[in-house]
Amino acid sequence: MELGRRIARTLEAATFDRIAAVGLANAELNRPRIRRSVLELAPQPLGEGDAAIVVAAGPSLHRRRSLDRLRASRFKGTVVAADGALGACLRAGVVPHVVANRALVELVNKHGPGIKAAVATSAAPAVSERCEQAGMALYWWNPMYDDYERPDSVSRRLHGMNGLPCINGGGNVGTAAWVLTHAVLGKRRVGIVGMDFSYAPGTPYAKTQYYPELVEMLGARHEEAFIHLDSPLTGERWFTDPAYFWYREVFLEMVGGADCDTYNCTEGGILFGPGIRTMRLEEFLGDVEKGR
Amino acid sequence: MKEFLKGNYKLDVEIKETEDAEASRLETEFERKALSRLGGSICFVSKKNFVWTGEAQPEAGRAAASQGGETRGAGTPDRQDP
Repeated sequence: MELGRRIARTLEAATFDRIAAVGLANAELNRPRIRRSVLELAPQPLGEGDAAIVVAAGPSLHRRRSLDRLRASRFKGTVVAADGALGACLRAGVVPHVVANRALVELVNKHGPGIKAAVATSAAPAVSERCEQAGMALYWWNPMYDDYERPDSVSRRLHGMNGLPCINGGGNVGTAAWVLTHAVLGKRRVGIVGMDFSYAPGTPYAKTQYYPELVEMLGARHEEAFIHLDSPLTGERWFTDPAYFWYREVFLEMVGGADCDTYNCTEGGILFGPGIRTMRLEEFLGDVEKGR
Repeated sequence: MKEFLKGNYKLDVEIKETEDAEASRLETEFERKALSRLGGSICFVSKKNFVWTGEAQPEAGRAAASQGGETRGAGTPDRQDP
């Protein structure tokens, strides 16, 4: 097995080791601000019908002008954004109904009161404070840290502490936004834009997110950690690193158990496989419009 | 392997590691180091529900977790491999 894929297989445990302690500490600090559960979003009128678009912040979002096209379509369904995509959404004139967040951008001052924030209890307290200052309504959830069936489970302990639901976040905020969209909001047709989990063709390795770490860890072998995949929709060859490849593998595992149809309208990246239909954004929006 | 082969004598032959053994050792080392530097911003738990709301409805007075009701993920069997 390639080195990059082998590293990716270790990242479920590595993520727990790295973030669980800080997440639990932040959950304690955020506790005074917790007034609503994310489950309270379910009965609210957030867009029409059973279709939704999840917006993540990958390079395709700009390369494909996905948000300009979404705005032009006058899509009436639900829009859920990962925090990293919120700024791009607002600049493009797309105001999401819900943002899944750990961080915020300044544009939220203008649009904050109209956006509901699904905030993880692991978020830095400064972020949740800033959300409240911007007038956003905060709906809280616990990240699922481990197997809640175990008596010594961290997830179980956290749920016992604050009573909030534990959400299986899938490793990153983009996937967490997709989980919220179908498992909490109950949307049955979920389109995705900007979820590349990879780097565009031609991107220098040195410009990738974990390049310094990979060079430090692997030295001259760092290029072996990158994995190349051909997009079935565009024919482009994108490449990824162990962290993003893990996100992809997790998503592919999760999509098999999801009670929704998932349409990847990213038009790039490496998120394809069983359970995911890849198509152009206009095709998905057209199908929704026609009720197909 | 070389670090374990120490003695107060000299061998007539040079001990060479096989390429496979060295590669395996290096990869294990790389993975261990990778664990501390890579990983996601949110955890993932394999083969578990999307949403877990506990075995019973939350007690009164806790955060309003119960007000939205059960979700499709809650109380359903754990997911299996697709």
